[in-house]
Amino acid sequence: MFAYVAKRIVAMPFLLLGVITVAFLLTHFTAADPLTSIIGERQMNNPDVVEAARQRWGLDRSLPEQYLVYLGNLVTGDFGTSFRTRQPVAQDLIVRLPATLELVISAMILGTVFGITLGVFAARSRGGVIDNLARLFALVGASAPVFWSGLLVLFVFSVQLGWLPGPGRIDARAVAPPFVTGFFTIDSLLAGDWAGFRSALLHLLLPASVLGWTVTGIVSRMVRASMLDVLSQEYILAARAKGASPVRVLLHHALRNAMLPTLTIIGFSFAYLITGAVLTETIFAWPGIGSYAVSAARGLDHPAIVGVTIVGGAAFLVSNLLTDIAYAVVDPRVKLGAKVGA
Amino acid sequence: MEGILRNAARAAAACATLGALSVTLPAWAQERPLVIARNLEINSLDPHRAFCDTCQIYLSATYQGLVKLAADDRSIEPSLATEWKANDNQTEFTFKLDPKAVFSDGSPVEAKDVKWTFERLKNLQADPSFMMKGVTAIETPDDKTVVVKMESPNSEFIGILAAPYAGIINSEVASSNGASAGADAATADKGETWFLANSAGSGPYVLDTYRPDDELRFRANDKFWGAAPAVKEIVIDQSADAVSQAQMLQSGAADIAMQVDPDTAETVASPDLTIETVPSYNYIYVSFSPGAAGNQTPLDREVRQALAYAVDYQGAIDFTVGGKGALQASPIPNGFPGTDDLPMPEENLEKAKELLAAKGLQDGFTVDATVASINVYGVDLALLMQKLQQDLARINVTLNIQPVASAVWRQQIVNPGIPFSARFYAPDYYGSAQYVQFFGMVPGSWWERNASGQGKVDLVNQKEVDLLQQALAASGDDVARLYREIALEMINDRIIVPVVSPNLILAYRNEVAGVRYSACCNLPLAELSMK
Repeated sequence: MFAYVAKRIVAMPFLLLGVITVAFLLTHFTAADPLTSIIGERQMNNPDVVEAARQRWGLDRSLPEQYLVYLGNLVTGDFGTSFRTRQPVAQDLIVRLPATLELVISAMILGTVFGITLGVFAARSRGGVIDNLARLFALVGASAPVFWSGLLVLFVFSVQLGWLPGPGRIDARAVAPPFVTGFFTIDSLLAGDWAGFRSALLHLLLPASVLGWTVTGIVSRMVRASMLDVLSQEYILAARAKGASPVRVLLHHALRNAMLPTLTIIGFSFAYLITGAVLTETIFAWPGIGSYAVSAARGLDHPAIVGVTIVGGAAFLVSNLLTDIAYAVVDPRVKLGAKVGA
Repeated sequence: MEGILRNAARAAAACATLGALSVTLPAWAQERPLVIARNLEINSLDPHRAFCDTCQIYLSATYQGLVKLAADDRSIEPSLATEWKANDNQTEFTFKLDPKAVFSDGSPVEAKDVKWTFERLKNLQADPSFMMKGVTAIETPDDKTVVVKMESPNSEFIGILAAPYAGIINSEVASSNGASAGADAATADKGETWFLANSAGSGPYVLDTYRPDDELRFRANDKFWGAAPAVKEIVIDQSADAVSQAQMLQSGAADIAMQVDPDTAETVASPDLTIETVPSYNYIYVSFSPGAAGNQTPLDREVRQALAYAVDYQGAIDFTVGGKGALQASPIPNGFPGTDDLPMPEENLEKAKELLAAKGLQDGFTVDATVASINVYGVDLALLMQKLQQDLARINVTLNIQPVASAVWRQQIVNPGIPFSARFYAPDYYGSAQYVQFFGMVPGSWWERNASGQGKVDLVNQKEVDLLQQALAASGDDVARLYREIALEMINDRIIVPVVSPNLILAYRNEVAGVRYSACCNLPLAELSMK
């Protein structure tokens, strides 16, 4: 397995280079000149201002030259400067990636725990009330658009009931904790700021729940289907015949085997949510990588677009690798890197 | 049954725990900073590269100009300069600096800072650089005197200096952090990154924190040389849309919501909130570009007039902002010099049909109408275009609406041009020349270039050119009289036809005082206080 993992890690930079090249080229074939986002309308007819901006942002160079300069800078960790925020893209990503990770990891934990639980209970009481309710909950979670469910929970829990705070990562009146991990919940704890921790945690609940609901929907349906398949296997019958308790049969014999396809879904969901939490981030004013990507695309912010693409590509590569490793851990029959028939 | 009751009890306990956590929210809110909910959309915090509505709020709070716009939104008041005078032909302006004025680091504001600031503003070749157009020399006879010389008369220069972008920068601090004012500043200046994390002005506030798309935090300048601001800390919190802002206001998470539209405002009625509707200088207009490449039918003046007659202006105001807006006569907004008693736009279908018939166009024609898919000042431009589509259909003119991203629109309007479109404008400072120089048919103006297809057709109105020169050299009542004549010419051009000047909604919690709209600065933060 070690050799397989090492091989995959070595291949990653080459795969990322392909991602970077495609992203770089695509951003330069858009319908509009990025200068229209850099310069205000009033000055677009001013040749002095236009020329100064072209020089400043390196847009006076040929495309191959821009590409080589970009790759050269990338090697030193320089992702360029955002046309929109005017800050180094690397700095923007360092600030925003933890925000998204904090949201996505929380959503994944909530979504996975609830999803597996629902799936198991639904499979156990197939056709019963619990099964139908669980399927309904999963269906709504998987199909309700986040822009609707997000606004709805904000209106109910924040505006009407006043139980939970509104948008943002922390109370607007509070000062963000000093940056250590970028996770406000962890950083506020590290700083000994309990009020900050409480605020960060409460602010996290609604967006993580909304995002997690979609994961719950997908995971519970997958777990239910896998469990139903596994529960009909003969070895389950054998386990029962040997006197294993229902809980042991369900969790040890059935769930463990039903988890393999679920792991794939969880892995892909995680990578997808890294860049796909756009609507949640927008509705909850969550300054993460998703909202950054949308603003970058709308503002023709080429360096930011490529930067986000690199992060998204890396997230997919890493999550795929971790999923494969998890396969091997969960099911000893899976031998990573083994040749078929060997 | 027992299980159900046990589960219900657990759920109730969970809710109570959740409630207990949230009940403490108001407790943190004591001693709290004032929070403003707003879509930040900041392009920079460098005073000489920034150019946005939030930038105006930021710059006017952290920097001070030589002069400032008074609360009446018309008069000019002293700020860093105690007095100023212009020579007879408006080409030389002399300012005396207040000896008490100091920057936020305690160092005095001196003439060298003014010279450095104006030279950087000009040489940086960035968005607000046009404000120093025509400046030929800046002299500093002594530490407290500044003389600015222009190549041609500019009666609006004092008004321009009241704009937030002309705030004076601590030159020593900025220079030591990479900023440059030299002739090569456009390439040599490296100060923007520093300005994104620091301010270097003499205003009532200093920059505390800026996190793009998240928050902009101010704290009171403890070395401020004027009256100390009542609120010690202010946060402008990112909130992208009107509904989110209204929710923040209702829940108490924000004290002021700045971009609530009329429809949303009607849903947030509460005894804890004050909702004011005030006129603004912002407006939405439609534009005609006879030189655009896609024109199928020549959009000459009579055709443009016919289309303008076919617009249901009041209906457009009702449709877009629920009636909470005003008609506007010319591209110079209501209330600016030269706009008294101008003839308001008129809907007249009969005249529209007559004009088209005279051109042999009684059967109508199709015109391309590309528009940016944006909502600005509460007006959805694509929706407005649909209303205009219905209006023009009454005279058999078909609008071929194509919504595009704003950046794409900005490219297409220049080349190949867009025959019929809609756009918005907000003032950069109090003064009418900016509108003539942007919308007027004077050589090189943004709309003269675009509407003419970059010179394919001749749209220059020589009378406007002459009147503008006279207005820039005039003083006293002559200024308003000359701009009124220009406004009438611009109406007659029928290149720019204002449709609606949306009112602004000022929505804030009752305990907040001092909320007002300013023509130059949007929301003057230093005037805010808590009751």
